[in-house]
Amino acid sequence: MGPIAGFDFERMTLRDALDLAVLIEEEARDRYWEFAEQLATHDTPEVADFFSRMARIEERHRGELLERRRTMFGDAPSSVERRMVFDVEAPAYDDARAFMGVRQALETVLAAEVKAYAFFSEAVPRVKDPELKALFQELRDEEVHHQSLVKAELARCPEKADDSEAYADDPNAQ
Amino acid sequence: MDSFLAPNDYKSPLKPIWCPGCGDYGVLQALYRALSAVGRPPHEIAFISGIGCSSRIPGYTTAYGFNSVHGRALPIAQGVKLANPDLLVVVAGGDGDGFSIGGGHVPHAIRRNVDLTYLVMDNQVYGLTKGQLSPTSPRGLKTVTSPMGSLEQPINPLLTVLAYGAGFVAQATPADMPGMTTLIEEALRYPGFSFVNIQSPCVTFGEEEQQLRAHKARMKPLSSLGHDPANQLAALDLARAYGTELYTGVFYRNPDPPPTYDALIRHRQAELQRGEPRPRARVLERYLQT
Repeated sequence: MGPIAGFDFERMTLRDALDLAVLIEEEARDRYWEFAEQLATHDTPEVADFFSRMARIEERHRGELLERRRTMFGDAPSSVERRMVFDVEAPAYDDARAFMGVRQALETVLAAEVKAYAFFSEAVPRVKDPELKALFQELRDEEVHHQSLVKAELARCPEKADDSEAYADDPNAQ
Repeated sequence: MDSFLAPNDYKSPLKPIWCPGCGDYGVLQALYRALSAVGRPPHEIAFISGIGCSSRIPGYTTAYGFNSVHGRALPIAQGVKLANPDLLVVVAGGDGDGFSIGGGHVPHAIRRNVDLTYLVMDNQVYGLTKGQLSPTSPRGLKTVTSPMGSLEQPINPLLTVLAYGAGFVAQATPADMPGMTTLIEEALRYPGFSFVNIQSPCVTFGEEEQQLRAHKARMKPLSSLGHDPANQLAALDLARAYGTELYTGVFYRNPDPPPTYDALIRHRQAELQRGEPRPRARVLERYLQT
């Protein structure tokens, strides 16, 4: 079972694909919000702010795709459900760490963008409809653009060893 | 766009305070999705827990919840189910809560076969209290309470519950989110006592080889081994590998589930209501004659 559970790509329609793309962005948005909350709770405000910004970016992408979907198909019901989507563009839960640095946060985002690129790259040859294929190609290429933005940020970010362990609690007996 | 009840419908406004990277975040997400798949509304679900990091789960759902006393989640859950058999009752907790402090309750919940789902987030350490030995800690583990390494043989949760006769026994890891979601859903749907041992790593006090990256590398789905979940003896044999192999999937599913305790109680109540009325005077008279 891949990151999309119980869905048949062979039978996918353009409407399904747009719904799927919306849900992928929604999942990523929610995960970044969760990360922002986790890091804010664990005294890492600068990284919490960064993940909040990522959540807002994913929300913007979601909104754009949703608008396209509504323009093309109105409010017709969807056959894709949120519970079918598993970490396509959302970073994995175990990528977050208390006291993680900005560089680690950027690396987390880059890994998520690479993962999304791999998903769309795999999806392109599995669909036959030319419109659908074009949509997946477009989404795949957007991931390349996102990766380049994150890589540029990473290049500006100073190399720094992971110092999260320095802040971790010592395992003292209670 | 979503189904009638989407995963987020089970998510409470209370924010989890687990360490970032904790395996329990994935478990909670899988739980929301499994509940969405089962489709029972939050007011028909009750989460019962004891004490520990994972026992905070009831607060993070919109269902009814009771974050109870250490090790006492199972007896409370049984009471809840018997008082209101229509509820979907889910018990959540850690390996210490379930197999140490509450260890004595496990066999009785299983032998009664009360229809509830028990999710154990097994991280092989007491994380909430900063890393002491737990009942599933591997032999040799160095912790604050075992600075030279544990001398104790760990409990094997899978073998334990199988030996007591649980009708549904599975193991999952957040390293495989779709697989874990499916297993939780199956457990929720099983009519009787169901158990899922979730290898949910402690990111702060857990060992490196217990983290999700290591799980991804070494997990082996039971389906890929050709295991038949109806074969209890094969399940027992595979469960012996707990601690050395990370098998995921259904170890055992009773193909012919016996009646649940709650169903038997309802049947007994119906029987008594159908029988001859037993006036108090007649009962007392019979007692005095004996």
